[in-house]
Amino acid sequence: MVRKIEFKSYKEMPIRPMTVGSMLWNLTGSWRNVRPLYDFKTSPCILGCPTNENIQRYIWLVTEQRYEEAWRTIIETNPMPAVTGRVCFHPCMSKCTRGDYDESVNINAIERSLGDMGLDHPEWMESVAASKKKKIAIVGSGPAGLSCAFYLARLGYPVTLFERDETLGGVLRWGIPEYRLPGAVLDRVSAAITGAGPIEVRTGVNVGVDIGLAELMKTYDAIFLGLGLMRSRALGVEGEDKGGIEPGLEFLRRVNGGQKVESGGKVVVVGGGNTAMDVARCALRSGSDVTVVYRRTRHEMPAIAEEIEEAEHEGVKFQFLAAPKQLVRGGKKLTAVVFQKMELGEPDESGRRRPVPIEGETFELEVDRLYTAIGEQADLAGIEGNVETEWNLILAQNGTGATSDPKIFAGGDVVTGAASVVEAIAAGRKAAERIGRMLAGEPEPETAEPVTVGIEDMNLDYFTHSKQNQVPRIGSEAAVKGFDEIKTGYAPEHLAAEAQRCFSCGVCNYCDNCWIYCPDVAIKRLEEEYEFDYDYCKGCLVCVYECPRNAISVREEGK
Amino acid sequence: MKKVIMGNHAVSYGVRASEAKVISAYPITPQTHVVELLSEMCASGEIDAKFIKVESEHSAMAACVGASAAGSRAFTATSSQGLLLMHEMLHWAVGARLPIVLANINRAVGPPWSIWTDQNDSLSQRDVGWLQFYCESNQETQDTIPQAFKIAETLQMPVMIVMDAFFLSHTYEIVDIIEKEQVREFLPPYKPQIKLDVDDQHSFGNLAGPDYYMELRYMIQLAMQDALGLIEKVDKEFGDLFGRRYGLIDPYRCDDAEYIFVTSGTVASTTRKVIDDLRDEGIKAGSLKIRVFRPFPFEAVLDVLSKAKKVAVIDRNISFGSHGIFYQEIKSALYGRTDIPIIGFIAGLGGRDITPKVVREIADKTIDGTANERYINWIGVKI
Repeated sequence: MVRKIEFKSYKEMPIRPMTVGSMLWNLTGSWRNVRPLYDFKTSPCILGCPTNENIQRYIWLVTEQRYEEAWRTIIETNPMPAVTGRVCFHPCMSKCTRGDYDESVNINAIERSLGDMGLDHPEWMESVAASKKKKIAIVGSGPAGLSCAFYLARLGYPVTLFERDETLGGVLRWGIPEYRLPGAVLDRVSAAITGAGPIEVRTGVNVGVDIGLAELMKTYDAIFLGLGLMRSRALGVEGEDKGGIEPGLEFLRRVNGGQKVESGGKVVVVGGGNTAMDVARCALRSGSDVTVVYRRTRHEMPAIAEEIEEAEHEGVKFQFLAAPKQLVRGGKKLTAVVFQKMELGEPDESGRRRPVPIEGETFELEVDRLYTAIGEQADLAGIEGNVETEWNLILAQNGTGATSDPKIFAGGDVVTGAASVVEAIAAGRKAAERIGRMLAGEPEPETAEPVTVGIEDMNLDYFTHSKQNQVPRIGSEAAVKGFDEIKTGYAPEHLAAEAQRCFSCGVCNYCDNCWIYCPDVAIKRLEEEYEFDYDYCKGCLVCVYECPRNAISVREEGK
Repeated sequence: MKKVIMGNHAVSYGVRASEAKVISAYPITPQTHVVELLSEMCASGEIDAKFIKVESEHSAMAACVGASAAGSRAFTATSSQGLLLMHEMLHWAVGARLPIVLANINRAVGPPWSIWTDQNDSLSQRDVGWLQFYCESNQETQDTIPQAFKIAETLQMPVMIVMDAFFLSHTYEIVDIIEKEQVREFLPPYKPQIKLDVDDQHSFGNLAGPDYYMELRYMIQLAMQDALGLIEKVDKEFGDLFGRRYGLIDPYRCDDAEYIFVTSGTVASTTRKVIDDLRDEGIKAGSLKIRVFRPFPFEAVLDVLSKAKKVAVIDRNISFGSHGIFYQEIKSALYGRTDIPIIGFIAGLGGRDITPKVVREIADKTIDGTANERYINWIGVKI
């Protein structure tokens, strides 16, 4: 025990003014009226990610070259970073604080690098054995189904994964072209997922047709429906069933399935979403002259901006503010299409301005083939009647996937309508977690509203401006000659440099600033942790001001 | 070995014999030769010391403070404005109880700019707590250096050795040079009990609250009180080895003296000549050189002066608004002896020569009663 030394006489003192003991008895922390505390916030990127990947943490682990841990961090909420690292529309990057400073961190590219590392290190994905009795059937092996199967299997639940096609992947397999997501990558991803736990795969089984939902209900304790949207919406133009017109999804299925497709001639793709871009670029690669016709303007296009730009670079033409009105045929063959010119009117319920026909204004394009990509629909044959549906979509609770039947859960596009891969992954995971709790009889966890930070909370003195590291890609000219993957991925130095750009918003990344600046040496530096020594912290808050990333908060003493 | 050397070099030889380990100084007239010769001695290896060049006297003393705190024998020399610039660090050396030795060549303080001698520079440092020795000859100056180190290291107090500019610093005299081999017996290598040591960690010069500040100051005063006896003891030890003694004070023909003239520095020699003249005329006169000004040897001074009819003090300095500074001390020493008039003379400021004629004028005014016994008597001022 350190105590104060009391000199009774000068004779006990050294003649020099010098310390002869410790001042540790003097607990200067008693002077404090505010206390700093490590209080990590949720980085905005994490809130921007539909499946809440712990982006800040895995990027920090990359800066430490701890790649396996980084990969494991992603896998906690997304079992297929090699997929999302390629096809995700990365809303995380729109929320990146760095985007308000110079350019957002290329989270998507970092995720892909880690996803690919995971595929190259199959030993990282150790298999989980069945530890539970209750069984779950998953219908559909798209991103929602794979995700749900994975997280249930990781909990030890035996899972049967039903897929009506012969191969796994759903929309990942049939809806996304090879140049964005190579089939070989998808094969490795689906193999890794199904190998990660007690997952029985049953392909070629069309639930609702080959086996009834009611029968599954007898065998399984819970069912997850991740059916996706597999039917293209019709144009609603007279004679569209008379040849020359094909649903975009069918065309993509043929292309992705390696079937021979028509080449040459003039192709029109109707629509403005990602499917339209995929169809247009696949048609371009098949040697056709391609024009995308969209009824609104570029600004309203729902496709990922990058996809639009790439399509344009590759040579896809765009015709905005037009909708097909009439098909022109020479005999049976489609020769041209008459388009109605549109203008933008008042905003509709989606917030986008509604396209309104301009009376009497039309134009004609020469067309050999027309692909529709104006939206996809679910195929609910054999499902309807078992759960409540609305507008041909399954009604399910956001965040749990619970439907009108307590044993049936659903997620992904079949619930939301056309959305994104990452949203389907999130829905699958959340449903798995809910199913797990339900089967185990566990209560729902309490969740607190996360506290986040923005650029105004950062101490920008500690950051220097830098450009985002772009993912290397093959040139447009080479790209359109085949279906080679366009983005070739980061080299190790790109990965390291990009990870270093992360501000680590609201979360400590052990930069040591607090520890260095503390004038009272009242911060202890532990292994991946700091600790305030409140016996001596005087509450000067230098640590708070010098923390570049707002990972330290302040509380008034006694409150 | 005897050599004819200037007073400044006598200092250098004294430092060489004392085997100082760190010398840090900034040149200033009239001190320059001191460190010039020491730097040459360092360069040639004649003295095994680290010579630290600095940009100011403040830094020179700071370097000595550091060196001394780390356990080295440290020396510096300066003069006038340089000493004044050191002022803060002079306090530090005392408070930290560091046995640094400093040679100050008395030079008048500007403005007006002056390079010539008077004592106001060192006497301005009267209250910082340094011991002060006022030397009269080159030999005494040299011999006082090792004595100063011995006293300093024994007491853990800094010591200042003072000598007149030009009258001593630039004047050549025969000096019996002391060598380190002889001095080592008298002054062994410095081995402090406490020093900066990474293996024995303390905070030095730290905060001391009102609970302990006075005790630390009390111990400084105790050291000053102990110094008087120690100086005499060291003087005797030195005398036994080298045959020369200097004492706290140096009375001359005072035993039966009716008139005693108090002096310091080179004026002491001049005054002795005048004393002899007065004695030849049948006047019972004597002189008293004050060698040690801090601590002030009150008892010894009282002992000598108590038999005199009149005492005169020759001050080559002035405390403006008061008196000559030595005068104040003598008056203090004779407190209660209202029967002995004490007459204060201010002379020789800014290097004005104090010749035997000037001392004689002082003697005459003292003896015939024309001097003002209540206040300052200025000598030689053009009024």
